[in-house]
Amino acid sequence: MKPVPPLLKRRLPGVRQQHGGFSRRTVLKGLFRGSVVALSLPWLEIFAGRKARACDDGFPTRFGLFFWGNGNVPEYWVPGTEGYDWELSELLTPLSDVKAWVSVVSGMSVKLPNTEPHTSGAAGLLTGMGLDTVNDEYTFAGPTIDQLIANEIGGDTIFPSIQTGGTDCDGQSWNGPSSRNYPETDPYTLYERLFGDTFRAPGEEGVVDPSLGLRQSILDSVMEDIAALQSRVGTADKARLEQHLDGVRDLETRLAKLQEDPPDLAACSQPPAFTADFADVDGRPQISARSRAMCDMITMALACDQTRVFSHYLTDPVADILFPDASAGHHSLTHDEPDPQTEVRMITADCVAELAYLLTAMSNVVEGDATLLDHCVVMAASEVSQGRTHSLDDMPILVAGGGCGALKTGYHYRSYTQENASSVMLSVIRAMGISAASFGADEGLATDGLSDIEA
Amino acid sequence: MLLLLACATVDPVRESAPVVEPAGPVLKRLTHAQYGNSIQSLFGDAVVVPDDIEPDAASDGLLVIGGTVNSLSSLGVEQYETAAFDVADQVMASDELRTALVSCDTADDACSRTVLQALGRRAWRRPLSDAELDRIATIASEATATLGSWDEGLTYGIAALLESPYFVYRVELGEDDPDAPGERRYTSLEMSTRLAYFLWNSTPDEELIAAGEAGDLVTDAGIDAQVDRMLSDDRARAGIRNFFNEMLTLYELDDLSKDPTVYVHASSSVGASAREETLSLAEWLTFDDDGDYRDFFTTQTAFLDPKLATIYRVPAPSMDGFAKTTLPADGGRRGFLGEVSFLALQAHPTSTSPTRRGKFIREVLLCQPLSPPPADVDTSIPEPSDGYPTMRDRLEEHMSNEGCAVCHVQTDPIGLGFENFDGLGGWRDTENGNTIDPSGDLDGVMFPDAWSLASAVRANSNLAPCFSRTLYQYATGHAASDAEDPLIDWHSAGFADSGYRVQWLIRDIAASSGFRRLGEVEQ
Repeated sequence: MKPVPPLLKRRLPGVRQQHGGFSRRTVLKGLFRGSVVALSLPWLEIFAGRKARACDDGFPTRFGLFFWGNGNVPEYWVPGTEGYDWELSELLTPLSDVKAWVSVVSGMSVKLPNTEPHTSGAAGLLTGMGLDTVNDEYTFAGPTIDQLIANEIGGDTIFPSIQTGGTDCDGQSWNGPSSRNYPETDPYTLYERLFGDTFRAPGEEGVVDPSLGLRQSILDSVMEDIAALQSRVGTADKARLEQHLDGVRDLETRLAKLQEDPPDLAACSQPPAFTADFADVDGRPQISARSRAMCDMITMALACDQTRVFSHYLTDPVADILFPDASAGHHSLTHDEPDPQTEVRMITADCVAELAYLLTAMSNVVEGDATLLDHCVVMAASEVSQGRTHSLDDMPILVAGGGCGALKTGYHYRSYTQENASSVMLSVIRAMGISAASFGADEGLATDGLSDIEA
Repeated sequence: MLLLLACATVDPVRESAPVVEPAGPVLKRLTHAQYGNSIQSLFGDAVVVPDDIEPDAASDGLLVIGGTVNSLSSLGVEQYETAAFDVADQVMASDELRTALVSCDTADDACSRTVLQALGRRAWRRPLSDAELDRIATIASEATATLGSWDEGLTYGIAALLESPYFVYRVELGEDDPDAPGERRYTSLEMSTRLAYFLWNSTPDEELIAAGEAGDLVTDAGIDAQVDRMLSDDRARAGIRNFFNEMLTLYELDDLSKDPTVYVHASSSVGASAREETLSLAEWLTFDDDGDYRDFFTTQTAFLDPKLATIYRVPAPSMDGFAKTTLPADGGRRGFLGEVSFLALQAHPTSTSPTRRGKFIREVLLCQPLSPPPADVDTSIPEPSDGYPTMRDRLEEHMSNEGCAVCHVQTDPIGLGFENFDGLGGWRDTENGNTIDPSGDLDGVMFPDAWSLASAVRANSNLAPCFSRTLYQYATGHAASDAEDPLIDWHSAGFADSGYRVQWLIRDIAASSGFRRLGEVEQ
């Protein structure tokens, strides 16, 4: 073995201390007419800075978001029966093999103003907040649920969170206004990031490479430049630079963690590099093959504890992608296809089938006496209920895995009073072991979880 | 002398520019294209620019403005690091590139310091302070000691320069104007950066940065001299191409999706060809023709490759790549609005979209933003059927809904004018067996077909002012405030007097107070 050069003994980044014990990362404050204002929004005071809730069997609880664009057709989605005896509806049929893990939460509404079709719904569901405006462009006003959770539990892993796309998309993961976390959409690049040269399987030692310390020296220099620059620029730019700084700190943390021995997890192994070609076929993207390659890697990244938070975007809102056997783009069809929207239903079922693939892969990973899926909360959702009308009532929401028993599984809860979808988000956040007082703001504010889906 | 004076008075006397309150400074993160151009300017065109960089996102219709608004993600930071090492490794591995960079041959700390000082001044677009240079040079010497290789050590020094915010962001914060108490201006050095990215979409070259250091670029004469030089350089052609690429959102052609079972000429490369066609026309109109911007919409001059010629059903002017040609006068197709880059991009994968085509003309070409569709409205239009055989019939049914009609009346009557062009841009006379009616009106100007619609767009009083506004925003890198309207109007009036010559407008904006002055840092 090579000797460890002295440079590796550098101090490790003290990120938590720098943030006074609160959230690891900066959560951008609201931008209003170009200047940053301190918003007295509840999400700023949500967190008590806890670590991920460990399950009774010692495994960490993980969170995932599975997202697809353009909604569904509610009358073919909502199961006819409720409670633990729910029966698969037409659009949920692909979930038959993993039904026992899946809870359907139907009838929930995004209560915020639907000012911008699709965008309002995505922001309303995932942030619980109305849209913000910067330069006359709409942007999310606060962090999305995946980043709220990653802020709390992401600090213990090499990647605080990962974002992936099953198609070329921008994703829906935001830190705050004008601050988006773009997904990795190329399977090869994702493989390199997760399982490339620096991957270490259980039982191996951490990466020993003097270049890690040298890279850290560069990051220190970058941080010094950012700090100097911050003292000279306006408030909005200060906030942007702070976000940049957060990214540098994430990278520093990662360089440090790479040098640690990997966690001893029986289910973890380096997946084989794949050789599939994901190029479009006859003008149509290979949505399924690409998404499945991504989902296989997500599953192993979780099994290896490289990250505990992921979000996977099969498609974006408004995506006009040609699905297999469809006569037009998905978004066009949602608006143009007359009832009973046979093709839209076919596409929605395709999307659910990709979710089923992910959940099945996770349920096949054995962790102790349970499975990886048992140790997760995977929320699946889209940004509207029915694409044609952009309605935010009766949103399609599924919650799978139960988070080590924190949430019911294999259950259908239907709301008949158009309850606030933010209450589902709050239940999910709490299931992660995070003691959140509330989720969302204004009409989207929820201070109580949805007790009907909690165990 | 008398003769010169007489000539000078032939031009209409222009009123002096209105004084407006300038915008405050903002950090500009380099766009993807700017990053790549800057890297190649620093090290040589042989560098393969890394592709995985945080994506650009437009704000106010422009990617450069998005770069002043959007924050960088954690993945983006990681990608900058990977890209910096990728570039540095390429440079040190290539004899040609390494020789161009490494001006000394002693392979010691003094030499790396010399190299990093020179590179730093270009990369950061200003000289490094002693403390900054010490820090970067120390990284290189530590790396040399640790890795036992001077070249590898220098690699770390180069990467350190490229990962710095001083490379990734344009920092232009201004100074008090000694000639105008209470006012602020961009420094001469900052002006070299502003001119370089405005005209070339790249970092300043040696001559420009030297002019900046010499203090030349706070005077009219100094700016004029550099603008003259820059416009005659090929990089200005790349610059105007980038502007049209951003304004017309041609980068979206990368993801053009068309069903080849519906459009037999659709292929994965048609988007790139379409973009090249439009950018070639824009470049030719601006530099070779030095013509009227409005001709962009009515010219029969076109630059086609065999693929596009097949779609347009005209003889290919060259069997190998692009060449200039003249479209037939009776072919129904002319100008940008007859190009695939407009017709296919503003359409659906398997059909046309009069709404998208009309919306593009309103918002992008005429600067008339539309409201989003109302929520909770049934947006469906009837399927093609005997009752509604054509797109016009289907959309007219749609417009019987008052909630929809409010907006669609602003887009569909324009967009239906292009119905002779299918969703890829190929010509068709009929739809489902019915003769297409491509007539309509644009703000009260009736047109029988797309050929005449091009004339109506050309004659629209908002067309040239919209272009002036967009170019002004592109140059200054910010969304113009209402306070700047009088200045933009003034540029626009001059643009008209110039015969709508794009080069003239570039010069005018480069000399503008809106480009050279700034407000206080906003706290």
